[in-house]
Amino acid sequence: MGWNKPIHDLNERHLVSEGTSFSEVTDIVAGVTERKAPRLWWILFAISTSTTGVLGATIGYLLWTGVGIWGNNSPVAWAWDITNFVWWIGIGHAGTLISAVLYLFRQYWRTAINRFSEAMTIFAVICALMFPTIHAGRPWFLYFSLPIPNQMNMWPNFKSPLLWDVFAVSTYFTVSLLFWYVGLVPDFATLRDRAKNKIRKWIYGFAALGWRGSNRHWSNYERSYLILAALSTPLVLSVHSVVSFDFATSVEPGWHTTIFPPYFVAGAVFSGFAMVMTLLLIARTVYGLHDVVRIKHLELMNKIMLTTGSIVGYAYAMEFFIAWYSGNPYERFVFINRAMGDYWWAYWSMITCNVISPQFFWFKKMRTSIPAMFAISIVINIGMWFERFVIIVTSLHHDYLPSAWGNFSPTLFDILIFAGSLGLFFTAFLLFLRWFPMIAIAEVKMVMPQADPHWGHDDHHVDQDDVMTAEPALAEE
Amino acid sequence: MSNQDTRPAIWRSIAEKVDPRRRDRLAQQETGIQVGSLLPENSLVNRRTFLTVTGASAAAVGLNGCIRRPSENILPYTVQPEYAHPGVPLHFATSTTHRGEAVGLLVESHEGRPTKIEGNPQHPANRGRTDAQLQARILDLYDNERSGRVRQGETESTWAEFDAWWREKAGELGDGAGLRVLMPSSDSPSVDRACQAFSTRFPEAVIHTWSPISDENGRSGTSLAFGAPHAPWYQLGGSSAAGPRAKAILAIDCDFLAGERGFLNNARGFAEGRAVRSPDVQMNRLYVAESTLSVTGMNADHRLRISPSQADRFLRAVAAQLAGSDGVRIPPSTAAAVSGANEELPEGWQSWVEHCAADLAANRGRSLVCVGWRQPAHVHALAHALNVALGNVGTTVQYFPEPDRFERHGIGELVEAMSGLDTLLILGGNPVYDAPSDLGFTEALSGVGTTVHLASHLNETSAECGWHLPMAHELESWGDHRSMNGAISIQQPLIAPLRGGRASHELLAMVAGIRAWRGYNLVRNTMRERLGVGRFERRWRAALHSGIVQVPPARPRTPGLRDADVAAALTDNAAPAPNGWEVVFAPSYQTWDGSEGNNPWLQEMPDPVTKLVWGNAAQLSVASAMSLGLITEADLHREEYEGAFPSGWLLNVTTEAGTLSIPALVVPSHADEVLTLPLGFGRTKAGEHGNGVGVDVYPIRSSTTLGFASGVEVRPAGGREVIVQTQDHHSMTATVTWPVDFVVDRPLAIDATLEEYRETPNFAQFREPTPSLSPLWTQVDYSAPRDPAMGGVSYEPFPERRPPREGAPARYKWGMVLDLTTCTGCSACVIACQAENNIAFVGKMEVALGREMHWMRLDRYFVDAQHGGHESNLDDALVALQPVGCQHCEEAPCENVCPVAATTHSAEGLNDMAYNRCIGTRYCQNNCPYKVRRFNFLDWHGEVADMKRMVFNPNVTVRMRGVMEKCSYCVQRIQYARIQARLDTTVDGEEINERRIHSDEVQSACAQACPSGAITFGDLNDTSSEVHRMAHLDRQYSLLASIGTQPRTVYLGKIRNPNPEMV
Repeated sequence: MGWNKPIHDLNERHLVSEGTSFSEVTDIVAGVTERKAPRLWWILFAISTSTTGVLGATIGYLLWTGVGIWGNNSPVAWAWDITNFVWWIGIGHAGTLISAVLYLFRQYWRTAINRFSEAMTIFAVICALMFPTIHAGRPWFLYFSLPIPNQMNMWPNFKSPLLWDVFAVSTYFTVSLLFWYVGLVPDFATLRDRAKNKIRKWIYGFAALGWRGSNRHWSNYERSYLILAALSTPLVLSVHSVVSFDFATSVEPGWHTTIFPPYFVAGAVFSGFAMVMTLLLIARTVYGLHDVVRIKHLELMNKIMLTTGSIVGYAYAMEFFIAWYSGNPYERFVFINRAMGDYWWAYWSMITCNVISPQFFWFKKMRTSIPAMFAISIVINIGMWFERFVIIVTSLHHDYLPSAWGNFSPTLFDILIFAGSLGLFFTAFLLFLRWFPMIAIAEVKMVMPQADPHWGHDDHHVDQDDVMTAEPALAEE
Repeated sequence: MSNQDTRPAIWRSIAEKVDPRRRDRLAQQETGIQVGSLLPENSLVNRRTFLTVTGASAAAVGLNGCIRRPSENILPYTVQPEYAHPGVPLHFATSTTHRGEAVGLLVESHEGRPTKIEGNPQHPANRGRTDAQLQARILDLYDNERSGRVRQGETESTWAEFDAWWREKAGELGDGAGLRVLMPSSDSPSVDRACQAFSTRFPEAVIHTWSPISDENGRSGTSLAFGAPHAPWYQLGGSSAAGPRAKAILAIDCDFLAGERGFLNNARGFAEGRAVRSPDVQMNRLYVAESTLSVTGMNADHRLRISPSQADRFLRAVAAQLAGSDGVRIPPSTAAAVSGANEELPEGWQSWVEHCAADLAANRGRSLVCVGWRQPAHVHALAHALNVALGNVGTTVQYFPEPDRFERHGIGELVEAMSGLDTLLILGGNPVYDAPSDLGFTEALSGVGTTVHLASHLNETSAECGWHLPMAHELESWGDHRSMNGAISIQQPLIAPLRGGRASHELLAMVAGIRAWRGYNLVRNTMRERLGVGRFERRWRAALHSGIVQVPPARPRTPGLRDADVAAALTDNAAPAPNGWEVVFAPSYQTWDGSEGNNPWLQEMPDPVTKLVWGNAAQLSVASAMSLGLITEADLHREEYEGAFPSGWLLNVTTEAGTLSIPALVVPSHADEVLTLPLGFGRTKAGEHGNGVGVDVYPIRSSTTLGFASGVEVRPAGGREVIVQTQDHHSMTATVTWPVDFVVDRPLAIDATLEEYRETPNFAQFREPTPSLSPLWTQVDYSAPRDPAMGGVSYEPFPERRPPREGAPARYKWGMVLDLTTCTGCSACVIACQAENNIAFVGKMEVALGREMHWMRLDRYFVDAQHGGHESNLDDALVALQPVGCQHCEEAPCENVCPVAATTHSAEGLNDMAYNRCIGTRYCQNNCPYKVRRFNFLDWHGEVADMKRMVFNPNVTVRMRGVMEKCSYCVQRIQYARIQARLDTTVDGEEINERRIHSDEVQSACAQACPSGAITFGDLNDTSSEVHRMAHLDRQYSLLASIGTQPRTVYLGKIRNPNPEMV
């Protein structure tokens, strides 16, 4: 193990382009919020705000008329609504994984993308939370699902996975938001200090919570960041596990499966990384972040996608094996029907997008080619949407009693709401790019060579007091 | 009841006598609110009507509470009407005619507002049973499109003006040479009396009858066989040690379980003959030879596909075969007329005829041959001859003389006389829509001087007639009916006419000049003739109370068979040879002949056979569809995965009467080269629910082909139309052939033959065993004392913490048993449930999306005749029927997953649904393996018109959008019975003695309606109850028991009784 050795000793490349100085990093990131927005930003913002407007109008109509404007029916009582919910929640996974799990594992390359992906998490979870809210028949009574003391002595049903979902997703959202915000505090202070006008100074100053960069501030900051990372890490596993319980604890063939929790988590990370990749590639090009977000980062992300994509592929195969091995005729039928039935196209789209497309990342050339990874990341996003659609709709539409079988086809409003949720997400994200430091300035600086205590001299002395090298892993010396 | 048109029997002044309308005018000038103006006809009302309307409005206002609205004031009774306790429904016995047969009804009335029709258990024709159409008639009462005004041409008029016009007209008509009446055939003694009076008043006038579906052939058949019309009254049930009365039944083109006259009696008897309680019980066997798969055909043990024209030849073959059997004495001339008919039979007939005839001969005196209305008179006569020869008369079939019912003149005769006719009165019916097309009725109608049409709606005929008169609903008017077996029952109104109409017999009596023509007086006077003057009042009241007139019962006759006449008819009418394509005109199970066209409950009721809703389609067999090029061999295999079997191609059908275009629907087990065209659709002036639904097939039905037509040309027209079915052609097995070959065995509607049942009485448990896994948590002990929360003796706020009272009785354990052996699939339960539980209808396109709301659905599966075989047999597929409502699982998957506990288990084992708590996540619907939960995706009820709102059952919440609903086991009925039982509670010191609910005290709506008694409901803890006995029969099983849901509803495996010789 050489985690305590200087970068050049390990023959690793720098995480930031060589020769980049601290002030250049600050300028690159903070400058985005200070300069005028590029034309492309305005174009994208106009598109996404108008899509959000469509979303608002459609939700208004939905609340006025009822969920019957969608294609949901009996037996397919959940369709695009819950598909979108699970898809967005899955996308939200990458943020926490990158910011918390990779942080605890000291994967320094995460610093270039963590702010970005955490923001994506927050917005994806907001989009996700919208769906269970509006999919309910009477959303104005949703507070029934919260454990609020009331005169009827009536509590929610703690046996219901949907209730677990309420807790899991809201906890996840809260912790992610805190985590994100704590990380933002030093950077807000930087923006405040660079601010040229009063309003800007006041707002960023308010957001920076009086950060002065003192040693005590940094010490508290590091500790709280570590605690929040430790809190978030189990959430990465729990949220999508709990979401998968919505299906796994049911009696429906195709849903009632023990493989769901790990399979859903892997799928969530898979889709989350794909979405980060898509967004990052756009932002990197538009704002010229090549010095901070390097091919090295992208390649590492592609490796994670290759891994999780393969896990997902394994899960697909294992579901089929178990359906056969269980000897349960209903289960067998559902899986054969999934692949060969009415929705075969959805199933095979899913397989193509999720299992086959990431296999290109076995080749370094593909892993480091920006057009290839951009295309594949979009394909994976589509495939993961189909995965949720396949699980939900093909299991429900032909279950136990053939007399109750039916089919689902989406209506215009299904499509508008889904498209609208993308609009909401991108609106929020573009606003984030415009007004927030999209890359964690302070954290990036920490992993730059200048932050290395040995920077500038060649002696290999080990300082036991150095926080970063406090572990006694010196056996190999 | 409007008074405006009444000549006052009592008058106060000369002015009033001279001008009866003066009183009305004076009344109009009175200050204050005119009650009359509230009514559609601006008519004044009497005190009773006022109170009734007030009560009904009060109830309607009460219903407003279900919808969030500003508060409104309710008018209290100033004088409490007799017997009326707000909140306590009253039941009144009445009767009506249904498919040519009188049926007794008990109608539930809430504060003067009839809400639910049920059968009268004392009436011999239906013994408390009803069918879907009878259940749905309550909705017709509150159809706000019912006509409420007299019209003369385009202008509005009044009854008084019509009466004045008629008085003048009657004078002009003299002896009635220019007067004719057209009315549907009737079974009413009062109508007979009015007809007699009419003939006396207008000796030259003629009464014609027309009903699109009539038993005319059957009447002619009995006339031919016995010299006079008789009603054949089947006695199929009445099981004894030797088995049911009828052990072998041969039905030829005869839907005696769901369509023919007297079918409710037949369904009950047939079910009694299949009430298999133990393996040693005898059971009847049903042979059906028919073209269209009917409800009767779905219940057949052996079914032969024959085209309708070949029924004649088929019955002759059976007769010829019987003539050679020992002990069957077919009269000589008849035997001679059919001799040799059993030779050179078409493929598949030979062994069928032999074995069927042998079975009939072996069960002499315990068999039955019946023929349907579509077949010509001589076929009926031959069937009667066979029944006589088999010694069935007096045992399985009783013949009751039918009175002369003024039916000698048909509509054809009328059309001939219409040119230049002075006056035509059409009393009910809709001949412009349903008259045979070759007659040109509509064109002829314009040649009549004055036409008067009495109808419930401004329908197709009204539009062509001069006068339109609104007809009162049968729950609004007095009347009387005679059953096939001679029993007479009174039709008593439950409410004054909401739209101010008159009944057809009232109008006829008025026209005939009977002074006491008002329904009440008319019926009373008719009954006075029958019951005698002595003690009339007591007997009249008794008749009203019990719904049946206690007169000496009619005796069945043993009429002598006219052998020579039958033989001559058989010789004169040679059995026709097959002649290309044939069409069958079948009444729809939903709208019948079209008269129920504006009833959305029936339009949305899935057809028992095809599961089609909101429309009709030409049914044809698989082979026929292939020969027309509609489907290919590949389509048959495609079906295995895909939801919808291809359907809806447009066909051009040409008969001698005309051509029409209709979408096609492939039905397994349909006869080849035969097209079934359901009547009763394609109305243009039915109302908002009936207009433009389906295709009107009357235009190709001529007066010579009322039942079926041969030599028809059928060609694909190109193009397709959307037809909507609630279930597709799925078999239970859903075989997969590619890429792997395996059969998904789905033991859902489990069946066995009688022999298999005798070998393995618990055969159902072998196919779907009840799992013996230990439960996850403590099981509820339903034999434990009742939850004290129900006892009300403790003030502990948490019911579960109250200790049970010392020696408290066991609680109730509600359960339902569905006997698949006796279920005929008629779907009466579906509509009964809809009427009882305020279930919304959703319309064609919503059903197409899969959003129908029926709490009880009837699953219909086709079963391959060879069990377990891979060969799909689409032509002789057996049918398995299974009513499915909420199973009330002990370990209900729906309950666990609801985040807000809106669906929970009651202390008595009901799976309760709290609508107020439901937020509509639909998770319960997903997790229900039976998919019986229904979601209000949209506001299905919408803004309900005040009149339509009156049909709601006040004891059941009207659900808003966004909430889930499902079968509640009619919990409101359980609670009502509980209140009744609790009223009998006695307290003796510390002892609280609460009467238990008797097991026969509560019946779910479906169980009550079921014509064959296939549904049993009650307390499983009561070991003496019927439901307990049924639930513990050896052939019981639970649907999808292997999942471990522990359903409370129990199914009894279906027993088929195939002839061992024919398997």
